[in-house]
Amino acid sequence: MSFLSLSPAMAGLLLAATAASIVVLYWLKPPPKRVVVPSNLLWKRLLREKKKKTFLDRLRWWISLMIAITVGLSVATALGRPEVGSSANEIRDITVVIDNSATMATRSSDGYTRWEHAVAEARELLQQGSAGGRFLIVDTTGQAPPTEASDRGSALDVLEGLNVSLGGESKFPMLAASDGELYFVSDGVMVDDVPPEATVVSVFEAADNVGITAFEIRSVPASPLEYQAFLEVTNASGRPKDARIRLSGSGGGRLGEDVTLQPGESQGRTINLSSFDRGPVRVAVTSDADAFAADDYAFSFLPVRNRMVVVLVSPGSIYLENLLLIEPRITVDFKTPQEYVTGVAADVYIFDRYAPPTPPSGPALLFLPPDVSWLAPTLGIVESPEVMGWNAAHPLLQFVSLEDLRVDRAARISPLASTDGSADLADIIVGSPSSPLIVVTENPEKVLRVSFALEDSNFPLQPGFPIFISNALSWMMDEQVALTSAPGRVEVPLPAATVVDLEGKEVVTWTLTERTVFVADGPGLYTAASGTRRLRVAVNLADRERSAVNATSFGPDVQTASISQPSGAVQPAGWGDELWILLLTIATALVIVEWFTYHRRLTV
Amino acid sequence: MAESSTLFDDEFMNRLNYLTIVSKHMIPGHLHGEHRAKKKTDSGIEFADYRQYVAGEDTKNVDWRTFLRLDKLVLRMFEEDADLPIYIFFDSSKSMDHGDPSKYDFARKIAAALAYIGLLNHDRVSLVGFADGIAQEMSARKGRTQIWRAFNFLESLQPSGATSMVKAFRNFFSARRRRGLVVVVSDFLDETGWDKAFDMLRYYKQDLFAVHVYSTDEEHPDLPDEVLLEDAESGKTERIKVTPGLLDAYSEVFEEHCEEVSAYCRKNGYGYVRTDTELPFEELILRVFRQGRFLG
Repeated sequence: MSFLSLSPAMAGLLLAATAASIVVLYWLKPPPKRVVVPSNLLWKRLLREKKKKTFLDRLRWWISLMIAITVGLSVATALGRPEVGSSANEIRDITVVIDNSATMATRSSDGYTRWEHAVAEARELLQQGSAGGRFLIVDTTGQAPPTEASDRGSALDVLEGLNVSLGGESKFPMLAASDGELYFVSDGVMVDDVPPEATVVSVFEAADNVGITAFEIRSVPASPLEYQAFLEVTNASGRPKDARIRLSGSGGGRLGEDVTLQPGESQGRTINLSSFDRGPVRVAVTSDADAFAADDYAFSFLPVRNRMVVVLVSPGSIYLENLLLIEPRITVDFKTPQEYVTGVAADVYIFDRYAPPTPPSGPALLFLPPDVSWLAPTLGIVESPEVMGWNAAHPLLQFVSLEDLRVDRAARISPLASTDGSADLADIIVGSPSSPLIVVTENPEKVLRVSFALEDSNFPLQPGFPIFISNALSWMMDEQVALTSAPGRVEVPLPAATVVDLEGKEVVTWTLTERTVFVADGPGLYTAASGTRRLRVAVNLADRERSAVNATSFGPDVQTASISQPSGAVQPAGWGDELWILLLTIATALVIVEWFTYHRRLTV
Repeated sequence: MAESSTLFDDEFMNRLNYLTIVSKHMIPGHLHGEHRAKKKTDSGIEFADYRQYVAGEDTKNVDWRTFLRLDKLVLRMFEEDADLPIYIFFDSSKSMDHGDPSKYDFARKIAAALAYIGLLNHDRVSLVGFADGIAQEMSARKGRTQIWRAFNFLESLQPSGATSMVKAFRNFFSARRRRGLVVVVSDFLDETGWDKAFDMLRYYKQDLFAVHVYSTDEEHPDLPDEVLLEDAESGKTERIKVTPGLLDAYSEVFEEHCEEVSAYCRKNGYGYVRTDTELPFEELILRVFRQGRFLG
């Protein structure tokens, strides 16, 4: 028997100290309380009779002492986490590097994944060493980086905390030089550069896999209103596979196609999404006996593709009128302020030097609006304001340069979003807090307010002006394609954003400088929101390397783990050969017996 | 004296009066001494018998008529009432100073009550406090006027010393004492042997009534696990490890002790009453009465 949490010397010391303490406690006699009784006559008679049973009393005393020592030693031994079966093992320092790259999630023919087999194998390797040895578990994706080797119990705990990482880089870790034994448990697919001193234990078993190796939604360059999905499906199996592709999205959009793929063949598809509405799009590939599920589905987001109706209310602006007329995504309706009637239907409203008395029913872009109740008041007129700075990261200013912007006259507007001051501060994207030039609010409709008239600036003559108008239309209609990322650690370029998945469940996030990080365990579509900004992130495996589950680098000479005993893979650590629960049970049982016999006057 | 007494206060006196009344109902006519022995003496009113004249005797009771007729000297004998001596021995050793209420106070109350009844009954009552011998003695008294003297005597004694009933009886009865009723109020925790003392009473042909007094915590002691028992009389200590089993065994030994005293009395036709100090003393006295030895 050996101990997992104590060295043999410490365990021996603990047991000896426990036994000695109990014996001393039995021998120690605290000063008795002095009690005056009328006479000792009857007590003497009683003790005389008792003395006749001295031998039995002594026997009881010894039995009681032995029980107490047994209880104490059982508890002390349990504290040391004893185990059986390794006493004959020599002292060995064992380091196990376990591969937890994406392909380790491939299911074997016995129903267990390569990862489960790898964990079982790693546990078996750890059990081979003696309790006095040092043990270390390291993975290939950085979940358990190389540290100091410790006892077996700690190594088993680390092993239990690991899982397959679908994303991220997978590589053999840099290990300090050691005299101990080094094992590498892997399927040999995504990790190479294995040092020669490592004993490789393979959990590879050939498996079928047909997966999505690329999926993206793009607008058609020649027609901005149309979107296409680009899909690539790869057969990573060693035999031809029939697969069915199913594409589903909002508005009942649904497409299906059957394909036959030869071994190693990839087929691309460009799918017209004209029958799909704005919203999430999911693609799934199904095939018989598919062993790797993580690449069988992928997500993306279809932005607005319909032609927008834009109402321009202006006393006359050649710049805006000409620009909107050539914007292919919109249908524009020109109106003078006198012609504008509250309630006219449109997707986007543009007000040039005019503002209606009540807010419009959709997002609005305003150039130098007069004071109305639903807008922040004008505090004054600023002559030749300097364009001090702008938020280049804002979607409105993407690809827009304001270096040469000159403004002759601008209204100094309150940074408050509304006149009553109850709303939040507006987001100043151009200008300073004392002299904001372009501000945006979202309460609830998006409002983009430019504090100067186009005629009072050279903005319409800037190359970035058409892009700004295009960005403004896109931003107001919230039409953005999703960012793409691999599973694992995902960074969103939004500060302190909240992230929700497709089901609306909030995901745990960490805030970095101007970024928000979250962990996506598998493919999915996530929405990150920070203030008025919202981004969608499509997390897909979509990687040929990760789908190539049979591309092992291990040759036939590599030691293959026994994969016929999958039950070991799910066996929890701390049970198995360890005896602490048995010892605590014995101690409890003895205490109960002692208590019972005491109160039944059997031992006293 | 009685007014300032704490032991024999007004309530106690009321209880005694109640006992007196109750005792009259229990044994009608007992105050007329029907239970008493008739003694033949040379004086008296009621003729009893003749006996042979012995040379040297007083000739005043010679029946001269008989001499003339029979030519024999005979003496006329008369019958006279003999009062019953009651010797009330109460244990005043240190072991009696125990319990709440104290065994000693309880024993004194019993002695006082019995003395009261006896004196009212025109018996000759002696009170003897004993420990390791006779501690103090109130010689035989008769008549109700002696009641306060008896109470004073009882109140003046304090418990002290070891118990030796044998020594006390030897000292007391070595002086010639008339046969009577010996009432012993004690806890009978006597290292010299209460049974030897009782044997001595048998030798002196005294009648005996034993009142066995103990406190509740003597019968069922509540002791810590490890205890040094100190004998109140000798000061000797005994270290014991108290276990529930030992306490049970002690209770059995205590019961055996009581039963031994009871069995002795039963075997020899003596009266025996056993009580703990929580029993109202008048109830105990009634028990004594019911045994029919003290009265009647």
